[in-house]
Amino acid sequence: MKGLVKGLGVSLKTLVSKKVTYRYPDEPLKMPDRFRGIQHFDPEKCIVCNQCARICPTACITLTGKRNPDPESKQKLVIDTYDINFELCILCDLCTEVCPTEAIVMTNNFELAAYSRDELFKDMAWLAANNTNVRKENHPVKTAAKAAGGGA
Amino acid sequence: MTVRTEELVLNVGPQHPSTHGVLRLILHLDGEVITRAEPVIGYLHRGTEKLAESLNYTQIIPYTDRMDYVSAMTNNYVLCHTVETAMGIQVPERAEYIRVICMELQRIASHLVWWGTFLLDLGALSPFLYAFKDRETILDFFNELTGARMTYNYMRVGGVKWDVPDGWIEKLKDFVQYMKKRVNEYEALVSGNEIFLHRVRGIGVIDAKTALEYGLSGPALRSAGIKWDLRRDEPYSIYDRFDFDIPVGKNGDCLDRYQIRIEEIRQSLRILEQALAQFPPDGDIMGKVPRVIRPPEGELYVRIESPRGEIGCHLVSKGKQEPYRLKFRRPSFWNLQILPKLLVGQPMSNLIAILGAVDIILGEVDG
Amino acid sequence: MTRFMEQPLGWGNFLVFAASAVALLAVVLFAVVYLIYFERKFIGWMQYRVGPNRVGPFGLLQTVADVAKLLLKEDIIPKRADRDLYILAPVLAYFPSFTVLAVIPYSEEIYFTNLNAGVLYYIAVSGLTIIGVVIAGWASNNSYSLLGAMRSGAQMISYEIPLVMSILGTVLISGSMNIRTIVLEQDGWFWNWNIFPQFIGFLVFVVAAVAELARTPFDLPEAENELVAGYHVEYTGFRFAFFMLTEYVYMIAMSGLATAIFLGGWHAPAPFLDFIPGLVWFLIKWAFCVFFLYWVRATMPRVRIDQLMTFGWKYLIPLSLVNIFLTAIFMEIVR
Repeated sequence: MKGLVKGLGVSLKTLVSKKVTYRYPDEPLKMPDRFRGIQHFDPEKCIVCNQCARICPTACITLTGKRNPDPESKQKLVIDTYDINFELCILCDLCTEVCPTEAIVMTNNFELAAYSRDELFKDMAWLAANNTNVRKENHPVKTAAKAAGGGA
Repeated sequence: MTVRTEELVLNVGPQHPSTHGVLRLILHLDGEVITRAEPVIGYLHRGTEKLAESLNYTQIIPYTDRMDYVSAMTNNYVLCHTVETAMGIQVPERAEYIRVICMELQRIASHLVWWGTFLLDLGALSPFLYAFKDRETILDFFNELTGARMTYNYMRVGGVKWDVPDGWIEKLKDFVQYMKKRVNEYEALVSGNEIFLHRVRGIGVIDAKTALEYGLSGPALRSAGIKWDLRRDEPYSIYDRFDFDIPVGKNGDCLDRYQIRIEEIRQSLRILEQALAQFPPDGDIMGKVPRVIRPPEGELYVRIESPRGEIGCHLVSKGKQEPYRLKFRRPSFWNLQILPKLLVGQPMSNLIAILGAVDIILGEVDG
Repeated sequence: MTRFMEQPLGWGNFLVFAASAVALLAVVLFAVVYLIYFERKFIGWMQYRVGPNRVGPFGLLQTVADVAKLLLKEDIIPKRADRDLYILAPVLAYFPSFTVLAVIPYSEEIYFTNLNAGVLYYIAVSGLTIIGVVIAGWASNNSYSLLGAMRSGAQMISYEIPLVMSILGTVLISGSMNIRTIVLEQDGWFWNWNIFPQFIGFLVFVVAAVAELARTPFDLPEAENELVAGYHVEYTGFRFAFFMLTEYVYMIAMSGLATAIFLGGWHAPAPFLDFIPGLVWFLIKWAFCVFFLYWVRATMPRVRIDQLMTFGWKYLIPLSLVNIFLTAIFMEIVR
């Protein structure tokens, strides 16, 4: 009997406490900086090293490069097409981890729901345009000392 | 028309509110009493172990997250620890502390999911919401640390990926104090409730001999009275520096498994307190790891204590970047084996209590 | 209403009676809509969340939307189901719930009948719902619903006995089975309410009422997690809405009965508060009973079927018998 009454007491206390639900989607949900959302691609920075396509666990990145039209630049290849298949992408962040130039970075956007599967195959133009809420911290800092000294 | 009684064959699942995933149980019922139960699994098989044969070790880590998705940190750890043991890599202090903190926090989150869903199956609607409210806080911590709420992809061979953000440790200390009081509230809400006690006391009794024969591990094994916890008996990482108890049951029934898990939440909070107090103020988070991870040729089995029991990783390496064979000894799969034995002779309502108390996650059962 | 009842039955009177019945039906249907809304809100608040709040201002139109959805659903009758019984079952389950509302006195002037066997009428008619439930389970031709119907029938029949016997104590005290008389005997200060002398009876009544209503912790018939909705699993659309309606109208009726018999009906707790109309007092007490049902639902786990039967037969019935016995002895000594 006593256990039942104690339980009722806990419910009653919760009745008057503060509610914890969010008002999403009326109010946008703010994610911490490290949140792994949809990627942003900057074609200017890409050196077509292919590391992201190689590391991707689900092989969702396909890219092609072309000969650099600018004869004076040191960069031999520039990016021609860059596609990410979001039906396969698991937002694991490994592509960002290996990219030497931070050409592919993650943003904090996560809303990608669409009515048709075709819309989930994103090309370079879309990824370049997805530049809101870009993550500031993209590479893990190897030591805390470096973080204290260099500032993340 | 002659009257005859017949055995009823009832199909529980794969879509069913209380089978914790896509588990199908074919029950042969005599009235309300179960005469035979046959679990049919494989609805969530995704071929993780086969995929692992063509991926290098860092690429496998996101896949391990998805096996036991409720306690992903321990899955990450078992793979990383196996490779580190194979290659003899030293993990720095700070990384070890972060790993232990993450694993214990994950243990609490996993037990909260178990508690909420167990009581939801028994009919109490509110504890589910209370447990998830607290689990949200833990997931927010993980979100700030790793960038994701459930599939962390956080641990790496040789350390962890990110360092803790500013202020995280302090917030975590406050959370530990808050959680200690919350566990007492949970006990006040449920553990003394006579209706609940009648539903779980004396149900699904496992004795020590059966538990060992079936290879059970985790709370199911400890409820049978066997004091075996890999954190104490085969310490890995830095668990030997912490002071904690192993709760053990006496009767082997569902109530014992319930109380063991609640007590494990308390002990995890104790470990967290100590780890946070001893947390090194600076240090590396990644050890000396060769550029390309190639474990030497050979095989190796390493096991750790996940919230569900013993999770082990059997690695057969031929010296290449990809494993030749990677097998995970998944606790839910082993623990599920005892279900047909426990269910014989029980009425149907006990099915829910017994299945809930075994605590399986289908992602882990099927792999 | 007394006025109309005392006159001989003519066309004028009959029209008044018919109109008031229709009015009661409308009020009850409206009340059910908002009972469902408030249940979801209260249970939400007890779980750190806000309940429905998107459909209409503050979510007030949520149940309206739900009922509209149910109305617009395709009416599926399973091929192998017993068609006539399948269609009859929801009706059989629903009509007793509405008819028992007739004997509950809502205030001094607002009542619908002055039956001298009001208590008996209530218990007898509410028992008819069980037939509807069992027929629903059988006619669906589904093992799950059959199991649910058997459980439900067993539960409801078993708990009718303690329900009646717990009320018998108050009948002994008031000297009549007429519910209106029972209420009239509780006038004065709040310690005259039947809950105080009949405390054991009240406790038995609370437990038996929750079991009769098939609410948590006794909601085995619709144990969603175990039997996927029990006896009404094959019913969709408006036929399902009938079963839900039955449950909520019974909640109204049972809370009304509890208020009338144990909590003093329309009487104020103290005579000087008489300026507040009796109907308001009735509604406040009734609302508290309903809130208690929600509160228990948010907190308790479910009991098992054999524990339910053991509890009803081995504990509640002897306890209510003891209550009647003690009341009878007390009445002998005092009167």
